[in-house]
Amino acid sequence: MGFNLQLLFTGIGVGSIYALVALGFALIYRATNVVNFAQGDFAMLGAFAMVVLAIDLELPYWLSILITLALMVGFGALFNLAVYYPLRNRSFLPVIISTIGASILLENGVLAAYGPRPQSLDSIFAVPGFSVGDVFFDSQYIVILVVAVVMVVVQYLFFERTLTGKKMQATSQDKEMASLLGIPVIWMIMLTFMYSAMLGGLAGILVAPVLFVTVGMGSSIALKAFAASIIGGFGDVTGAIVGGLALGVIETFGAAYVSVPYKDAFAFLVLFGFLLVRPQGIFGERISEKA
Amino acid sequence: MALLELENVVAAYGNIRALKGLTLAVEEGEIVALLGANGAGKSTTLRVISGLMPPQSGTLRFAGRSIGGLAPGAIVKLGVAHVPEGRRVFPGLTVRENIILGGSNRERASRAELEADAEKMFGIFPEIKPFEAALGWTLSGGQQQMVAIARGLMSRPKLLLLDEPSLGLAPLIVQQVYRVIADVRRDGTTVLLVEQNAHMALSVADRGYVLETGQLVVHGKPEALWDNEDVRTAYLGGRRTQAGR
Amino acid sequence: MRASVRSGKSPPGVTGRRGLAFGLYATAALMAVMAAVITPLSAYSLNLLMQAATYAIAVLGLTIVLGYTGQINLAQAAFFGIGAYGVALGTTAFGLSFLGALAIGVVLAAGAGAVLGLTSLRLGGHYLAMVTISFQTILTLVLTNWVAFTRGPDGVPNIRRPALLAESGPYLGLCIAALFAVAWFVWWLKTTKLGRAMQAVRDNELAANVIGVDAYATKVAAFTLSAVLGGFGGALFAGGFTYVSPDQFSFAESVVFLTMVLLGGAAAPAGAVLGTGLLILLPEWLRFLKVIYLAVYGGAVILIMIFMPDGIWGYAMTRWRRLRPARPIDPGIIAPLALTRETARADNSVILSVHGLSKHFGGLKAVDAVDLTIHRNTVHALIGPNGSGKTTLLNVLNGIVRPTAGSIALDGVDITRLPPHRRARHGLGRSFQNIRLFGAMSVLDNVIVAAERPRPLPALPRLRARAGRGDGGLECHALGALDFVGIAARAGAQVGSLSYGHQRLVEIARALAGSPKLLFLDEPGAGLNHVEKDELVRLLTRLKGHGLTILIIDHDMAMVERVADHITVLNFGKRIADGTPAEVLRHTDVIAAYLGEERPALSRSYGAS
Repeated sequence: MGFNLQLLFTGIGVGSIYALVALGFALIYRATNVVNFAQGDFAMLGAFAMVVLAIDLELPYWLSILITLALMVGFGALFNLAVYYPLRNRSFLPVIISTIGASILLENGVLAAYGPRPQSLDSIFAVPGFSVGDVFFDSQYIVILVVAVVMVVVQYLFFERTLTGKKMQATSQDKEMASLLGIPVIWMIMLTFMYSAMLGGLAGILVAPVLFVTVGMGSSIALKAFAASIIGGFGDVTGAIVGGLALGVIETFGAAYVSVPYKDAFAFLVLFGFLLVRPQGIFGERISEKA
Repeated sequence: MALLELENVVAAYGNIRALKGLTLAVEEGEIVALLGANGAGKSTTLRVISGLMPPQSGTLRFAGRSIGGLAPGAIVKLGVAHVPEGRRVFPGLTVRENIILGGSNRERASRAELEADAEKMFGIFPEIKPFEAALGWTLSGGQQQMVAIARGLMSRPKLLLLDEPSLGLAPLIVQQVYRVIADVRRDGTTVLLVEQNAHMALSVADRGYVLETGQLVVHGKPEALWDNEDVRTAYLGGRRTQAGR
Repeated sequence: MRASVRSGKSPPGVTGRRGLAFGLYATAALMAVMAAVITPLSAYSLNLLMQAATYAIAVLGLTIVLGYTGQINLAQAAFFGIGAYGVALGTTAFGLSFLGALAIGVVLAAGAGAVLGLTSLRLGGHYLAMVTISFQTILTLVLTNWVAFTRGPDGVPNIRRPALLAESGPYLGLCIAALFAVAWFVWWLKTTKLGRAMQAVRDNELAANVIGVDAYATKVAAFTLSAVLGGFGGALFAGGFTYVSPDQFSFAESVVFLTMVLLGGAAAPAGAVLGTGLLILLPEWLRFLKVIYLAVYGGAVILIMIFMPDGIWGYAMTRWRRLRPARPIDPGIIAPLALTRETARADNSVILSVHGLSKHFGGLKAVDAVDLTIHRNTVHALIGPNGSGKTTLLNVLNGIVRPTAGSIALDGVDITRLPPHRRARHGLGRSFQNIRLFGAMSVLDNVIVAAERPRPLPALPRLRARAGRGDGGLECHALGALDFVGIAARAGAQVGSLSYGHQRLVEIARALAGSPKLLFLDEPGAGLNHVEKDELVRLLTRLKGHGLTILIIDHDMAMVERVADHITVLNFGKRIADGTPAEVLRHTDVIAAYLGEERPALSRSYGAS
């Protein structure tokens, strides 16, 4: 029983990372109808930035976090300008391919700059965690959970309570109508990318002490987060969270009870299942009949 | 000088010429109706005025300023509000939020000011006050139309462009909508109204223009238009006397 | 291409030219192979050329699925890997001959491709992309982790080549010969019925379905062929390098293949070969970039998408076509279009019977329990104000949208549940309100796609037999359709260069080429001026005279009144009137629907002026 609870806790922790990245997917998708295949690489960049700042430059941890977040916001703007904006009026295929290209560029750029050796970021906690009965609550996982919850609340407040948040929602729902009211649509989309990149970077900062920091970590997180989005319903914010958590739990239990090397495959098997049976996911609207 | 002047405006969607040299004017304080069958170019005219579509040639002037080719954001700041066809209420936002966003062109307005103005809107449209927290997609067509007009009025426009406000609405609701339109004019806002439903439009308008395949066919006062055979044929055919038609 | 009507075969001039081109191609292939065998090349150069040749074969697979059919496939490296491991394990662990192992590898890859294609039934766009990425990732995982079978990350060494080709030179010759053969196959595929169907699906899947193309089956075929070529290339690759390992067949490699086809140009086999050559050979001259060459790939993909979406070859072809406009096809003497043999049934029996048809979108009743009866040899008009449900009704009749309730019977056959392409075979044709031509194909090809899927006409055995023997019969029929609407002279042009009115005529010709019984015309008069509308009316009258039944939606009441024998009026999704033009256009409900209520006193009851 304790073992299962442990798995559950770990699964939710891992799932929170997926949820954060999936949230970034959902936001960009709603605003621009684009699936950003480079979303996971935002996490990878965040993790590597932490390595550079906290280890190589030996800056204090909290300062490294702030600088990383700021850098990711700027990067989101750059990404929008270079990858999405020139293609914003074209069909979905060039844009998908372009984001895939960006993903490869980022991963190999970092690889060239840093080399292939996996990095690691030590946990900053003096106390590695605490036990309650049979279950060990790892400090880093607790932090991940707490931060994820805080982010979801902050995001909710931003989108639901501020005028800018409302304007961004309006832009995702009906771009043309928003422009007719005088809402600066281009700037709203820019903000979406900046925020989404920051979310991705945050996921990277959170997960860096837990996993090895490698160039490929972004892709694998992204694929899982994508699977989570499909399960929860693509573009749906609640779906991203539920899907992410569900996937984390499924994967963790699968690794423990079935097989470790294939744990990544679970995500894809579940993904296949949903795509064949219920492509709109748990919360998504029916994918419209082709008209 | 008329508030809105169009002179020989040509507009096209790709290869299709939707407007073939349109000239019209709207004086301050008027309600002007733009009539014609489907595909005649009425909606296109509004889209060109509000900046959603650039004109290929011709001039558009609003309060003396040339507006052809400006972006929609710039034009709404000058005082032109466009309530498009199909209402297009933001489905995931509440009625109150929709209305407040109507003031997005007023950069200097504070949130408090916008909230206060929204309350005034609920005064003008009491039918939607009970729904102020309801999400856009849950509203009926008539309620959405009220919200869309209120949202348009929030920008404090000098000119309100209304595109087919009666589309898809039951007759009783249409009457309510048109009561509002008449009230709006009474408060000093000029209205350019596009309608397929000629009767309703002409019952509130001071003047009307009739379009057919992108060109002006006839214009004048409502009584004159109603008696005009051309108006009937523009909608229902039946013109037999002219050769080649 | 002159169409020689009387013989039904391609004219001798063309055959001669084609034969010459093929001869030159074969000679070039032979020379290249011999060069490979004889020239003493360093091991390094040999490896490079082998990689280029085998990669090019896989990239040609992407030309089929992405360039021709417009479907994104990010699993090509997986198919490449299946073929490679087929040869690797087959020759080492299972003691099969090279050929046997190659065959098995290709068959397995084909199976995998078919499965991926099957998933495209309900999904498109980024969902399909995700499915292919997932498949690719799972395969790499399996190759790496199923150590007992695949030898895991260590890979499979000592792969045996066929005895005669043990030397690298001759083996390279084999690869090059294979490349020439595959490239020719991919080029030839474009000219076949399947090739045209693929392009139609790419350019406008909806229209393709409606004119009789089974888009789903076409996509499955495209994925399968792509996988076959991927597997074939991989099998040759394994024999060439005699060692394979899982990391050679990862998602990154799929991206490399994709970049190659995009850089060269996805729409033509020459583009695939060009892109592969450039991206394999160029980096060798840019040795210093080796560390970041993949990063450069990534950046290159973005830049290509922004600035040169058709690739180098595509860009060159567009320039070439502008300099040298297509020679207009001289139609010669075109046989009159054999539209329908239904003239024998010159009665007025019911051809389409619709009962209680409804389509609800959530709470919105777009079409509400509509009954409709269309009689043979009539022009039946469907009118109603904006938003009354006319186009939705047409979409339901065509099978594009599924009805919520009701039934549709065409000539006594219940077609309510049939998919659109099957309805075309039963005799439904359609032109669309927004032009839906196949933009990258010529006018003639647009019509041929429909012509080669005609309604089975037992009274026209000669036409079908002719269609089988070369293109002659098909081309005649297509030209006949174009001639009927009056634009046969533009048959060789690209559709994008035609005026709107002419594009509309091509759509109608395309609908006619399938020999329909019942033709739907959705706002054929939209955007036409008076002269063009008069011609349209004359065309409709001629069609009626040939025994065709027409259902037309339009807003020009004058035109409708001239051509229609019968009018049905919709408002708010319901049928509000049905009868002759005289009855319907004076009906008070109809007038009210369009103009509002009959004029009361204009009492300005809504506000003082």
